[in-house]
Amino acid sequence: MEMKDIKVQISDDSVLVRKKMKDHLASLGIENVVEAVNGNEAVSVYKANKPDIVFMDIVMPEKSGVEALLDILAYDSSAKVVMASSVGTQENLKIAIAAGAYEFLQKPINYDDVTKILEKIAERK
Amino acid sequence: MFTQFFGNYLFNEKLVTKQQLIEALEMQKVVRAKLGVLAINAGYMTAKQVDEVHAEQQRADKRFGDIAVEKGFVTEAQVEELLSNQKQAHLVLGQALVDKGYLTNEQFAEALAKYKQNNLIEESDFTDDQNRKIDTIIRNFYIFNTFDGNIDFFTDYVSLVFKNIIRFVGGDFIPLAPESVKEYKADKAAYQLINGKGTVFTAIEGSASALTEFAARYSGEGLTEFDEMARESVAEFLNLHNGLFTVNMSNNKQTELQLEPQKVVENAKLTAKNGEMFSMPICFPFGTVSVIVSSCNVSAE
Repeated sequence: MEMKDIKVQISDDSVLVRKKMKDHLASLGIENVVEAVNGNEAVSVYKANKPDIVFMDIVMPEKSGVEALLDILAYDSSAKVVMASSVGTQENLKIAIAAGAYEFLQKPINYDDVTKILEKIAERK
Repeated sequence: MFTQFFGNYLFNEKLVTKQQLIEALEMQKVVRAKLGVLAINAGYMTAKQVDEVHAEQQRADKRFGDIAVEKGFVTEAQVEELLSNQKQAHLVLGQALVDKGYLTNEQFAEALAKYKQNNLIEESDFTDDQNRKIDTIIRNFYIFNTFDGNIDFFTDYVSLVFKNIIRFVGGDFIPLAPESVKEYKADKAAYQLINGKGTVFTAIEGSASALTEFAARYSGEGLTEFDEMARESVAEFLNLHNGLFTVNMSNNKQTELQLEPQKVVENAKLTAKNGEMFSMPICFPFGTVSVIVSSCNVSAE
């Protein structure tokens, strides 16, 4: 699978974070992007779109990113969810990894790391 | 970070006005500290000797270093060493004020010596922003008496606020005198609660124009008005900063904290229900932005 064909879900309550991520994805040729602005939406948008990869914030209204991660994995155990959050505390890292997160990115996001993850996804598909 | 607090010291001592400081901050980008200011800072030359060399420079087309060496004020090795320190920010600020004629070399020399003495700063401390001395300066500047038992927490918090502002927004600011208040009329503000043993209220407040520029710098987006992107950029800066703070607390103090989603309010009255809020105004060339913290229950409506 080519990188440009990857379907990406961005789940973050901040319009700035979503825009920056979309800009980066566009620079890699990725246009197939769906968005969610809170934890509840993150789950419903995943179910409706089955993206190849999800970038998930943790601190979000209605439902936290960790809860949304659990819900998505309960629905699809092969889901690839990358936590992309400012709160990379010991506790959150432990919970996210135990729950089955694919990776954990500490904000401010290093977009080279995002590219590497997407390359890995493209190779495996 | 010493630069910003040294700037406040110059202002508090009434050596310069706020307007003059702002001008100097804007000039910082194009100014380099010159040898005279560097030599005073290092203690190699007195202000008088520097003025003497400057006078000589008016007559002869020679470089400052050459004249100073000829007169026996400094050695060539010292000149080399000084030149390698040219970019130190506090010296650049001093240079800008001297160039503008707001401070004489003499006044700058005195103020810097006193400031270093008051805060027990060594020369080497200026070059290392990770230094523990930052905490001392912050503690001396902001008296966190309203936070019984939480002084360390708020010192860590405020140190990181300034580091993150320098990192993500810019270093061209001067912290102004803080205030403890029960009520605060917020023009525009982003706020976020940090939950741990207790709840801590944090906010960034300012006028639409000041926060728009703050947001534009942080986001790198061409923002010109306080629209949705500007609002969310200010909120995201607060969220990022608070997130990095929780990571530090988790790694260094084994304290686990949780953040609530950040929010934005306009024309709101912030009220500390059972105590006070601590407001820390920060003066940028584009306006004043305040960081507000409280260990009380604060309502925003």
